[in-house]
Amino acid sequence: MNQRIFQLIKRLLIVIASILLLSVIVFTMSRLAPGDPLIAYYGEQAEKLSVEEREWAMERLGLNDPLPQQYGRWLKQAAQGELGLSYKYKQPVMQVISARMGNSVLLVGSSFVLLCVLSLLLGCICACYEDSLIDKLLRRSGIVFSCLPEFWFSLLLILLFSVLLPLFPSSGAHCIGRADSIADRLHHLVLPLAAVLISHAWYYAYLVRNKLCEEVRAEYVLLAKAKGLSRLRILLWHCLPNVLPGYISLMVLALPHILGGTYVVEAVFSYPGLGALIYESARYHDYNLLMVLSLFTGAVVIAANMLAQALNERIDPRTAGINTEVSYYD
Amino acid sequence: MTDPRFELVGAKPQAEAAPQKMRRHRPPYSTAVLLALIVLPCLLAEVVMTRDPAYMDLAHCLVAPCREFIFGTDSLGRDIFSMIWYGGRISLTVGFLATVIATALAMIIGSLSALAPRWLDALLMHITDILLSVPSLLLVLFLQAFFRQNSVFTLSIVLGITGWMGMSRVVRTEVLQLRGCEYMEAARLMGGSFFYLLRRHLAPNFIPSLMFMAVMQFRSAVMAEATLSFIGLGLPLEVVSWGSMLSLAQQALLTASWWVVVIPGAFLLVTLVCVTNIGNHLRKVHSHGERNL
Repeated sequence: MNQRIFQLIKRLLIVIASILLLSVIVFTMSRLAPGDPLIAYYGEQAEKLSVEEREWAMERLGLNDPLPQQYGRWLKQAAQGELGLSYKYKQPVMQVISARMGNSVLLVGSSFVLLCVLSLLLGCICACYEDSLIDKLLRRSGIVFSCLPEFWFSLLLILLFSVLLPLFPSSGAHCIGRADSIADRLHHLVLPLAAVLISHAWYYAYLVRNKLCEEVRAEYVLLAKAKGLSRLRILLWHCLPNVLPGYISLMVLALPHILGGTYVVEAVFSYPGLGALIYESARYHDYNLLMVLSLFTGAVVIAANMLAQALNERIDPRTAGINTEVSYYD
Repeated sequence: MTDPRFELVGAKPQAEAAPQKMRRHRPPYSTAVLLALIVLPCLLAEVVMTRDPAYMDLAHCLVAPCREFIFGTDSLGRDIFSMIWYGGRISLTVGFLATVIATALAMIIGSLSALAPRWLDALLMHITDILLSVPSLLLVLFLQAFFRQNSVFTLSIVLGITGWMGMSRVVRTEVLQLRGCEYMEAARLMGGSFFYLLRRHLAPNFIPSLMFMAVMQFRSAVMAEATLSFIGLGLPLEVVSWGSMLSLAQQALLTASWWVVVIPGAFLLVTLVCVTNIGNHLRKVHSHGERNL
């Protein structure tokens, strides 16, 4: 019991250290960026300031202090929830983000869940009919789909399903004035979701398939077969649980890719989420916003990694106590 | 074993499995030919082009594919057929340069990490892990925001310094296995410097298993170039590349001029699929590359 608490504390410390390190990198990069930092605080008026006013403003904002000191102050403010102003929106960063967070959570969340289900399903189908026509067909098309650049695929979807056949809307999260309508929101979600799913699902399905095909060669499968169990039952009841821990950590490691993919798709569909915001902030050199968004995304991913480990231990207690650090010294 | 119900599960007969293995390792000739059909005209763009890819023929904007403009023209009146080859060269150059930079960084950081004292090793690998956990496009975006004016060179550097992490893991694992070899110790005792060891003893050993990763890095660099240019954070519109050609695609959707959207993307996709096939072949040949991830 004592050891478990120790493990938990250690793991928490690693999470915190990782996020801190990430924030140091992000902070240094944003401060080394060219451009006038005063603009980030005062907008275009900063260009009209006289030399004395500039000096005073720089002093007041502490921009003349050495970087570590500035970082310390930023961290202190960040801990209190003050993350600065967005240059483009002229609003506190948190306000800009929280307005769009819901949309992104909806898109990323639903695509992640569906992706997990879909890739597991496809993987099982392929493993069940290994080397059959279905398997080969899915494998071939899978290579092509996994090479599709998300943004181009989204454009194709728009071209096909909203320009040539006007079935789905090409942008936005809901029609104007219909923000409360669930059906309308789902209608807007279809194309972005399809773009994310189709360009990602295959890769993970392929990994599931390979794992399952390996598993099916094991001796216990032969025994189960001899007992007279059906092929499907063996695959689902005996092989799948063995594959699952690897699959979960795989899906969590996939999270950054899926996030990155969703961000691109959001930008193409001008879906008002964090992804579209991130590209906008990079294009307009809105460093404060970009910094917070990057940090936020990174933190989500780091937290997810830890979650995967905990889940794996639940499923397979043998992996407990083996943490990633140890495996470096193999 | 003749019962058909045993075909799916259980061990396969040796005789049946063996020829299949041979077939799988056949080099992908058709893919190579297809790739050459795209890459060679790109390299010899000046010969293949029918007109100046940068010339804006404003009298012929958004012309559908016809005899004069084989692939049509974009909204600025540029000939897409010429742009494909000329832009392809730039896209492939970015991919190639980025891969070279990333591979060099991965080789240095990976072997440094494996040969360094434990604390430095742990630190380097933790940093690698953290960088690996951030969506790579985000890192690129972050670096990209600092360059006011993008050129082929700056974009390659950015894509290079954000793409080394996965490869450096592989290098590190390989070097850890080589570290204890007698020839390594001998070379070190004779005072061989880090770069000498890397060049003479380490690199020749791990390069085969790194090839697959490098090819995949090329693929993702080409894809990242297209994505960034499309969004307006990569190459500007004047620098013709597959990505910057597609940055006009969103406008083209409004006028339903499909050729602006479909043609550059199709070339991009075919190239990426070919590269992936070659990468998969390399992975099968040196199959322990993936295990060391």
